[in-house]
Amino acid sequence: MSELAFLSPGEARAADGFAPAISSPLARALEGARGIRDLSLAGKLEVRGPDVEWLAADLDVIRITPARALVVCAPEECVELRRSLPGLVVDVTGALAGIVLEGAGLMRRLTDLDLSTLPAAGKFADVPALVSETEGSFRIFFPQEYGHSVIEAVRDAQDGLA
Amino acid sequence: MRLPPQPGERLDRSRALVFSFRGKPVHAYGGDTIGSALFAAGQRVFSRSFKYHRPRGLLCCSGSCPNCMMTVDGTPNVRVCVEPVRPGAVVEPQNVLGSLERDLLAVTDKIGRPFTPVGFYYRTMIRPRRFWPLYEKFLRNVAGLGRVDKHRGRTARFDTEHRRVDVLVIGGGRSGRRAAADAAARGELVLLVDENAGAAEPGEGYEVVAPGRALGIYEGGLVPVDAGSVLLRVRAAQIVVATGAVEQPLVFPGNDLVGVMLPDAARRLIRDFSLKPGDRAVVVAADDKALTILDDLERAGVEVAATIDLREHDPSELSAEGRGGRLRAVTVDGARHECDLLIASGSPQPAYSLLAQAGARIEYDAGRGVFLPATLPPGVEAVGRVTGEVGAIAPARACYGGEGFVCICEDVAVKDLKRALAEGFDSIELAKRYTTVTMGPCQGRLCHLPSIRLYAHEQGTDEAAIGTTTARPPWAPVTLGLLAGRTHEPAKRTALHHRHEELGATIMWTGAWRRPHSYGDAPAEAQNVHEAVGVIDVSTLGKLLVAGPDAAAFLERLYPNRYGDLKQGRVRYGVLSTDAGRIMDDGTIARLGEDRFYVTTTSTGAEAVVGWFEWWNAVWRMDVEIVDLTGAVAAVNVAGPRARDLLGRLTSTDVSNEGFRYLDARHGHVAGVPCLMLRIGFVGELGYELHFPSLHGEYLWDTLLERGADLGVRPFGLEAQRILRLEKQHIIVGQDTDSESNALDANMPWIVKFDKEDFVGKWALEHARERGPRELLVGFEMANGTVPPEGGQVVRSGRPSGRVTSSRWSRELGRAIGLVWLPPELAQEDASFEIRVDGRLEPAHVRLRPFFDPEGEKLRA
Repeated sequence: MSELAFLSPGEARAADGFAPAISSPLARALEGARGIRDLSLAGKLEVRGPDVEWLAADLDVIRITPARALVVCAPEECVELRRSLPGLVVDVTGALAGIVLEGAGLMRRLTDLDLSTLPAAGKFADVPALVSETEGSFRIFFPQEYGHSVIEAVRDAQDGLA
Repeated sequence: MRLPPQPGERLDRSRALVFSFRGKPVHAYGGDTIGSALFAAGQRVFSRSFKYHRPRGLLCCSGSCPNCMMTVDGTPNVRVCVEPVRPGAVVEPQNVLGSLERDLLAVTDKIGRPFTPVGFYYRTMIRPRRFWPLYEKFLRNVAGLGRVDKHRGRTARFDTEHRRVDVLVIGGGRSGRRAAADAAARGELVLLVDENAGAAEPGEGYEVVAPGRALGIYEGGLVPVDAGSVLLRVRAAQIVVATGAVEQPLVFPGNDLVGVMLPDAARRLIRDFSLKPGDRAVVVAADDKALTILDDLERAGVEVAATIDLREHDPSELSAEGRGGRLRAVTVDGARHECDLLIASGSPQPAYSLLAQAGARIEYDAGRGVFLPATLPPGVEAVGRVTGEVGAIAPARACYGGEGFVCICEDVAVKDLKRALAEGFDSIELAKRYTTVTMGPCQGRLCHLPSIRLYAHEQGTDEAAIGTTTARPPWAPVTLGLLAGRTHEPAKRTALHHRHEELGATIMWTGAWRRPHSYGDAPAEAQNVHEAVGVIDVSTLGKLLVAGPDAAAFLERLYPNRYGDLKQGRVRYGVLSTDAGRIMDDGTIARLGEDRFYVTTTSTGAEAVVGWFEWWNAVWRMDVEIVDLTGAVAAVNVAGPRARDLLGRLTSTDVSNEGFRYLDARHGHVAGVPCLMLRIGFVGELGYELHFPSLHGEYLWDTLLERGADLGVRPFGLEAQRILRLEKQHIIVGQDTDSESNALDANMPWIVKFDKEDFVGKWALEHARERGPRELLVGFEMANGTVPPEGGQVVRSGRPSGRVTSSRWSRELGRAIGLVWLPPELAQEDASFEIRVDGRLEPAHVRLRPFFDPEGEKLRA
């Protein structure tokens, strides 16, 4: 087992009568919620080093700094991708919870980031987050330990707009 | 009584609305404000003044003055002249004992005035001192504005919304709308806000928020806008201030009588609400716009008894008299005119406050008698009347006679300002603080210029020499609820949090984390670790990956302990020191590879340590990457004599004592989950700390409990952990140490390697070593079973000489034990001292070695 394999859910093995299950850190907070899609189980890799700018165009990349990027991938691709990408690659699948929200109105209640210059890093629901946008859908990644708190804030903001 | 429909009136006469005022129904039309509907219903006295409880009526009718403040649906201090009617609204007068017409507190005006000059409470009510709370309570009850409903905060909802625009236009008058339309035509994203609900018609290609009060202009083009239940935090590249000009009241005897109005007030009543403001009027004005009120009065059928254009003739005498607080007659130059309406204003003062806040320079225009914005800061523009485009105007006189109010918000009269000046408060800034002029609800809109003018007049100088007071946000009163918004205190929860709740854990705060204190019986949980096996969620530990060719050198330089010689697959304890040699944090460091280290920190110190590492990495420019893995990894400590049995059931990794020694780090799958296993012993028993992807948290926790059920596995919480680590005399940074403690005094000299070339804090620790310890952290046990309080005082020869930092009853040892800071001479094995417990002195003895397993045999077995 490699040195950083213990960070990768993709390294889990169903064998010897064990069937390792995974659960989203947002699962309970999202019970009964509407309009919030859970991305927490998506594969996420943090890539560091000067080669970040040469990351392949077909990858789903959020660039954080010139030497640091987040690559989002299908969970089953994560282990393979971790081996093939250049630089220091750390599996942060478990570190970041993620959600997709619709509508700038809701976002404006939750973040002071400039929604016209995404992707960007900043505060979302008072916690550090990475926010990107595609056609009015906002994708937000944040430390999973804040998951419950963030979902509470999002649902509260939804109530405020309703 | 309404006039026939006026051209452009705001009323929708097809919509009838009803609200209640003092419990009686009041009829209104759509488009009415509460104020206009009340006026239509014959109400003339709208409030009682702040201090003297004088009757007050509509003065500005534009939301500036305090005269129409009432409590609406439980919200105090609502300016009803601009508050739209909501059907069913409950409206009550405020600051009144009795009714608006008969307020018993008006006695302060009738007989109290000689005793209540400006600042009287600083002088007459300070002795005897112990009575001040009584005076204060009394004063607060008889003076002031409405009362806050303390329970309302729980029902009212306030939100915050962040907006970014190219251009923010403040003020929806003609100039503001034109600026907004122009910017929108250029393709810019434009937002226009106006404090008047009447300005809510949508713009051409731009958004309008009305009512929306801009509260201030802050750095970076940030403008908070009070939009009722939502605070808009607007960031604009360009801010256009079109706040117009504010008609200024004249200062003369009787200038606060009900029936004395500013021209705009009468105009709004007539044009917007089709109301006749009075039957017979006197008009005194100083500019053309104000004088257009004559046309409105004529159209409304108001007889005009006299008109004085101050630019042509400044009367030597101007005074108003009334009965019951309501205007009856006005005397001008000896001529007495009976009337029920006096429309009076000096020259309009540009409303420059927001510009001044933004950094504009304000200058006095002596020819016209107003202050004008001179130079504007970048990104801020002014258009319309706020720039001084108010037509031909003449400076108003400071006051007509020695009577009259300068500040109607706070009942500051001419006499009060004169008195302040006589007492030596000769600068306008001091006068403001002493008399509270400009500090009331109008925030100086109606009294700033008159107070400066009076000061200049009394000191025989001009307004330019007096200068303005500093303009500060908020420009308009704002509710605290709106400023507070929705308060979310982001809490951190581990991946296992819900499992702990399901197991009935008592959850406590540790820093930002929510953690299980215990699952019901902490001593039993601790005992189970000694006797069988326990599991504790330690996912909150800070976890860092330090990777790169310089990783070992980086840690060597950062920690007092040595890491260059740490072998791959081994773990070593570490204490971080500050530059001053003080203990900052502690944890373990495992070497995963030649250039990869896995560092754990305390739970609450993680963020500070990450920052500390990144800071030094930036300073030293070493080839090191630091990755915070705190949330990525869940961690569970499996501890107790049966820990090996349990782990052995779940992994193919060799867990024998030979294959997996104390302080070894091993990679392997546990129940199929990839794990980093660290054999460490914070709680004293054989223990393995499992670090694994947080998404597997619940699965692995469940599996440990299921597969270990027959071994007696039980979860344990923080309280049990505290007992267990205390039995080993393991310190908790922040509990047993404080910002003054260093590793030498904390009795860990072995951890400081002075022979290293350098490390953070070395110089300071060398000094500490030379100086010798001032006090030492050592263990103690009580002679009897009393558990002293944490923070308890050590007493020797009647003098305080130390303090207890941790103390617990150990069921395993059958003793009360703890850690204590003692003077070095006392910190000797078996030395006796006493600890103050509930006023008694209880004997204790020093124990330098761990209470439990002092040789570490269990840990290593």
